[in-house]
Amino acid sequence: MSRLPAVRLAVRNLNRNRVRSVLAALGIVIGVLAIATLGVFGNVLQLAATDSFGGIGNQVVVSPNADAGVESFSERDLQTIRRAAEGHGVAVPLVTGGGLVRANDSSTAAQLYGTNDPAALFDASAGTIPPRLRSGVLVGSAVAESLGVGVGSTVEIDGNRYRVVAVLAPAEDISPVTPDRAVVLPTDEFVDGTPSQVVVQADSREDANAVATEIRERANAREQRLSVFELSSIVDRIGDFFDLLNGFLVALAALSLVVAGVAIFNVMLMSTNERRGEIGVLRAVGVRKRDVLRTLVVEAALLGVLGGVVGLCLSVVAVWALYQFTTLGLDVVAHPSNLPYLLLAFGFGVTVALVSGLYPAWKAANLHPVEALRG
Amino acid sequence: MTVAPPLELSDVTKEYDGGGELVRALVDVDLRVDRGEFVSVVGPSGSGKSTMLNTLGLLDVPTTGTVRVDGRDATTMTDPERTDARKEYVGFVFQQFFLIPSLTALENVLLPTEFHDDPGADERAQALLERVGLGDRLDHTPNELSGGQKQRVAIARALVNDPAVVLADEPTGNLDQETGQTVLGEFERITDRDVAVVTVTHDPLVADYADRTVRLVDGRLTEEGGVGGRASQGDGADRPLSEGDG
Repeated sequence: MSRLPAVRLAVRNLNRNRVRSVLAALGIVIGVLAIATLGVFGNVLQLAATDSFGGIGNQVVVSPNADAGVESFSERDLQTIRRAAEGHGVAVPLVTGGGLVRANDSSTAAQLYGTNDPAALFDASAGTIPPRLRSGVLVGSAVAESLGVGVGSTVEIDGNRYRVVAVLAPAEDISPVTPDRAVVLPTDEFVDGTPSQVVVQADSREDANAVATEIRERANAREQRLSVFELSSIVDRIGDFFDLLNGFLVALAALSLVVAGVAIFNVMLMSTNERRGEIGVLRAVGVRKRDVLRTLVVEAALLGVLGGVVGLCLSVVAVWALYQFTTLGLDVVAHPSNLPYLLLAFGFGVTVALVSGLYPAWKAANLHPVEALRG
Repeated sequence: MTVAPPLELSDVTKEYDGGGELVRALVDVDLRVDRGEFVSVVGPSGSGKSTMLNTLGLLDVPTTGTVRVDGRDATTMTDPERTDARKEYVGFVFQQFFLIPSLTALENVLLPTEFHDDPGADERAQALLERVGLGDRLDHTPNELSGGQKQRVAIARALVNDPAVVLADEPTGNLDQETGQTVLGEFERITDRDVAVVTVTHDPLVADYADRTVRLVDGRLTEEGGVGGRASQGDGADRPLSEGDG
């Protein structure tokens, strides 16, 4: 009469001892919740960390190696760097210095950067950064705040007056070039316009790594002319560490599912033992072994699915709470890479329930009907 | 008559190991159950009555001898084949009813039909429950029914697959005399529809309803009055129940 008699019978059997069924499913709930939540939390942690290390990982800072007696870049050095960066990102030579910046009768010390191509390294929070900086300056957010200047104001550096073209956005991540306390000028404004470092803004961590390797190979083949500073490999190592951490967390959570499996095993064994007589009747009235087996396996699977669904719902709530009560952004918390952990947890939960139900079901289905009916 | 009987035991012997000792539960038993016949099997405890019923019902396989279902040899069948033959030919009624407590009367009756496609099952089950006087109890669960009502649900369940034979193990054992009589009356009506009934029982009342009564003593079958039938009296009836040859 029904196309899924095994499912219907299984549902009714589970309903018969609801408290016991719920307790068995609760084990799966906790296991799935633990795997999904710990997995997602670990992944979110990794995403958040990668985000804040992102800038540092994508930059390569090259400077003359003073220890080897190299005081400044040669034209060949600059060309080598530019060639290495080609296809991987933009090489921006920076003239650096320090100075006192004055405006509105107050003054503050600032890091001075000289470049004609600031758009590759900096973002503006007010005004726009011109593709080529010819006149005027860009002011870091901390400098702008302490002097009370904005776009259009005038600042004075070493007796020269400059118009503020843009205010730089505050730094969101760690970077070798810190914009907050900096003022960016055109290169010509420096007395000595030779760059003291070249910053390569690479497209990705892999690109940064490639650029650094190539510069080291080409420029430092005979002598250590250039010191190359890049953190992409360190960021990679940090990423590896988080992978390991995630693995540990998920494995720990998986242990709780094993415990849940034992609980289901126990419950199935108990309930099939109690139902020996009924199972005997089913066999006597012509229900085949495999149909009995199927009904009982479906019971275990239903416990797994029920526990898995509830566990997933709870872990979604937990992740939502993480978003609500921390400064983590939705882009990290709801990142697609979290999804596999949810699927893994659910799949593992159902599998554990199925495997645990298999032996009791097999045992009950293979019980000799005469034996079963004797009880 | 050339029509094969629905169930037939020929020269059936059943031995099993009862704690290191060979127990011969059935010895050279011949029994033919014809359509519409009410056979009562009586005998003391441990005489092999239940073993005989289980063998007739294809739940157990004899050690030697043949069990025939509608002329086919059931002893050579595989387990799934025997299961299917049970579904087709045999209905069971038990002393303890064995109804599933979470299912209603109607659902219990439908249980034997659940695992195969059977479009007419619902109407048949309802008609059967009405026939046994439980038309107004279709949606009651077993704990809302009296012992006699439960046994009548069990009888309806035994009949739902249109079997040729209903096998009943102490069907009145858990019922008071009056209720037992209504249940036996039910069996009598079943036989009117050409379905055979075989009961094993201690209850002397059953003999009043049965067409014939056979007696099992120490695994051997003897006819006890009644009419027709061709139960064997076996040979060498003085052999003891167990002979320590195993």
